Amino acid sequence: MISRCRWLSHLCLLFTVMAIMACHEESRSNALKIGLAEEPRTLNIWLASDANSRKVLSLIYQPLYIYDPDTLDLVPWLAESMPMFDEQNLTYTVRLRKAKWSDGTPFTSLDVAFTGRLIQSFKVPRYSSKWKFIKQIETPDLHTVVFHLKKPMASFLTGTLFTPMVQEKEWASVAEKAKTTEKPVAALLNHRVHHPVGTGPFTLEQWQRGAFLHLKKSSYFFGTGKTINGRILGPYVDDLVYTVFGTSDVAVLALKKGSIDMFWWPIQPGYLADLSRQADIRLFTNEKSALYFIGFNLRHAPFDDPALRRAVAYLIDKDFIVSRILQGQGTKMFSVVPAENRFWYASDLPRYGDGLSRENRLKTAYRLLSEAGYTWTVPPVDADGDIQPAKAIRLPTGQTMNRFTILTPPADYDPHRAISGLMIQEWLRDLGLPAYARPMAFSSLLQQVKGNHDFDAFILGYGRLRLDPGYVRNLFHSSNDKSRGWNMSGYHNPAFDRVADRSVTEMDPGKRQVLVKEMQKMIARDLPYIPLYKPSVVEAVRKDRFDGWVEMLEGIGNIWSMCQVKPVKHDGA
Amino acid sequence: MALRRFVLRRLVEIAVIFFVIMTVLFILFRLAPGDPVSRMVDPSMTPEDARLLMESMGLDQPLWTQYIYYLKNVVTGNMGVSFHYGEPVIGILMDRLPNTILLFTTSIILSALLGVFLGKIAAWRRGERIDTLMTIGALFCHTLFLPWLALIMIWFFGYRVGWFPITGMISPEVWIHPDAGFMAKALDVLYHMVLPLMTLVLIHFGSYLLVMRSSMLDTLKDDYIITARAKGLDEKTIRDHHAAPNAALPVVTSVGLSLAFSINGGALTETVFTWPGIGRELVFSVSHSDYPLAQAAFLLIAIVVLVANLVVDVLYAYLDPRIRY
Repeated sequence: MISRCRWLSHLCLLFTVMAIMACHEESRSNALKIGLAEEPRTLNIWLASDANSRKVLSLIYQPLYIYDPDTLDLVPWLAESMPMFDEQNLTYTVRLRKAKWSDGTPFTSLDVAFTGRLIQSFKVPRYSSKWKFIKQIETPDLHTVVFHLKKPMASFLTGTLFTPMVQEKEWASVAEKAKTTEKPVAALLNHRVHHPVGTGPFTLEQWQRGAFLHLKKSSYFFGTGKTINGRILGPYVDDLVYTVFGTSDVAVLALKKGSIDMFWWPIQPGYLADLSRQADIRLFTNEKSALYFIGFNLRHAPFDDPALRRAVAYLIDKDFIVSRILQGQGTKMFSVVPAENRFWYASDLPRYGDGLSRENRLKTAYRLLSEAGYTWTVPPVDADGDIQPAKAIRLPTGQTMNRFTILTPPADYDPHRAISGLMIQEWLRDLGLPAYARPMAFSSLLQQVKGNHDFDAFILGYGRLRLDPGYVRNLFHSSNDKSRGWNMSGYHNPAFDRVADRSVTEMDPGKRQVLVKEMQKMIARDLPYIPLYKPSVVEAVRKDRFDGWVEMLEGIGNIWSMCQVKPVKHDGA
Repeated sequence: MALRRFVLRRLVEIAVIFFVIMTVLFILFRLAPGDPVSRMVDPSMTPEDARLLMESMGLDQPLWTQYIYYLKNVVTGNMGVSFHYGEPVIGILMDRLPNTILLFTTSIILSALLGVFLGKIAAWRRGERIDTLMTIGALFCHTLFLPWLALIMIWFFGYRVGWFPITGMISPEVWIHPDAGFMAKALDVLYHMVLPLMTLVLIHFGSYLLVMRSSMLDTLKDDYIITARAKGLDEKTIRDHHAAPNAALPVVTSVGLSLAFSINGGALTETVFTWPGIGRELVFSVSHSDYPLAQAAFLLIAIVVLVANLVVDVLYAYLDPRIRY
């Protein structure tokens, strides 16, 4: 009996301690608690390709220029002013700010030159292509860098200058050691960074793997108290604490409870109604630089015929996809460049079927195919102009069209694309096209489409497109039509290739803009891809804790926000 | 002498099985469609970037070269470097292993203790209402869908009532605090363990209860129980000191094997509760085609299970002289 009482008292004690700890958890500090959907991969900037590592490292390692949140123009960041271009000598001169690394040592042009040479000598994946056209990096003084280009390259301004800068002191020994190994690149990428030294507003304090990551305000951040691009920069929070959540359900509960102040991950439509009812939660909706599309295999029938692709474009009801499948959280697309990328976006492209009723879409598509020589046993439109169930469509050659598949990722990977595939299948069948949507494991889909080119049509998406439109060339240039190449459709158009090649070397943004718009027009006409939609980014924060979030393309999770967000002052608190 | 020969024979068999598992794992991962680079579908990445990435991962080598490297790595105990984390996989697994062992070993032991205790009572009061209730309750809990139960537990105890943390293994507030000592941190881990433990125990105690009940019913028919009664011992002594210890043997065997399998963690439990263990890492490494990490995790599980089987075989041979080899 006595023993049982003792056990009970121990249990009570344990629960008391736990209750105290629970109260302790509720106590608030000037720490911004951020929820992540996955743990950051690494602190090694050269290995970090995942979004979660970037969410941490983008606040530590800084580039020379960043984008303005409103206009998406270049803003000097570690640079003091805009780069000066010398067309004759093909050089760019960049003046640097007086900044310091987080260990207190000065940031100089030598660090910039070191970063560039490190990337070039190791051919660091993801960065190498942005630096390989630089012939020489000159440092006339500690705050001036002169980049000598081998040839004109438009991506210098939108790629090279956005490379995060690393400290020579930190990386020189790592690079030397890596060079002595059998695989220098692998050694560099796999170097474990414990305390990254950067010039950003925050610095790493502690990383408990699998649990949390703690960043502290850097006392050496060059922007503190300065006005850059019309904004007085902080940071105004002392600590950032990232915690990982295995599922969105749990992260949303944590946000509602107040265990986190921000969930740095797009909120799925299913949670929005509940979250919008919460008094202490604010939702931000922003556009994404993304492209979700249906692509065709132009290498064989039936989609080698542009008339068929155009008919399909008429049949796809993008309004339905956005309003019903995306539940209003997205926008329809008509170009492979998102409309929010205003400078490069071509607004005067054909909008196949936009605004037409289902019946008129079908009639227009029927007319297009009839004119192109397609025939039916029972056509979708009868002699009186009424819609009827179509049967057995035949190609212009007279052969019956074989069934074809539309490959999509599975619903558990992306329900939007999987359901869009099913809807497109139904719309195509209305015209008598023997379409079959087939969800497939994502890796298998990529292998089949990108590796083997064994497909008819597919639905894929790029959730994070760079603002530089260089990808338009990559996606459709005939030189990229190879196994694992980006030109998955097998689009071959010499006129497109010529314009695309010119766009790569055109240094005048205005002239390059004309070329990029011309490329979009060709794609919209030939339709190797039909752009479908791009989802919006909805993010949620506790408005009773912090405000001052800066919205931009891709949402509020950006360096401007982290330099501007402030704790909310509560009256009497 | 016979036992030594048996152990040696089993060791050779284990080595052969291990080699087969190793090879099958290698082939399976390479047969799976896609590769670690094909998932990086950023169209701004040039084909040269993709080639450099493949090179840095050693995936540009022919398959047989990769296989030789893999064998060499396994033999030397260096399981390679994770494609995703860029760190030695052994380090990653050793980081996660204690977390998994802590949670799942505790849950198995608690489930077994509860199952034995309730099973003993259910068998002793066979046919009564309490027996029916316990049996139905055990079956009901055992068939609950774990992620659903876990979410309900989080919602109720973590969010509505607010008694326990919603997720994770530790609180940043405690671990960041400069004055937090070992005791505070240990209590913090315990505090975070409560919800996942409650969930796991609720799911698993039922199977132990049913095994114990069934075994106890058999035991109660044995002669020595009748002898104990004839000696005039009270019912509680007969139940707790004579019947229960003997009836618990099948549960002990079951617990032993469960402990061996516990190192694979529970991917679902670890995911919902964001418990940084082997199970989560296993799922993540497979879905991200992180071959070295996935292979090492599976090999680790294979080693533990093979060794546990060997230990069980030897123990049986040692404990039961009727067993011949």
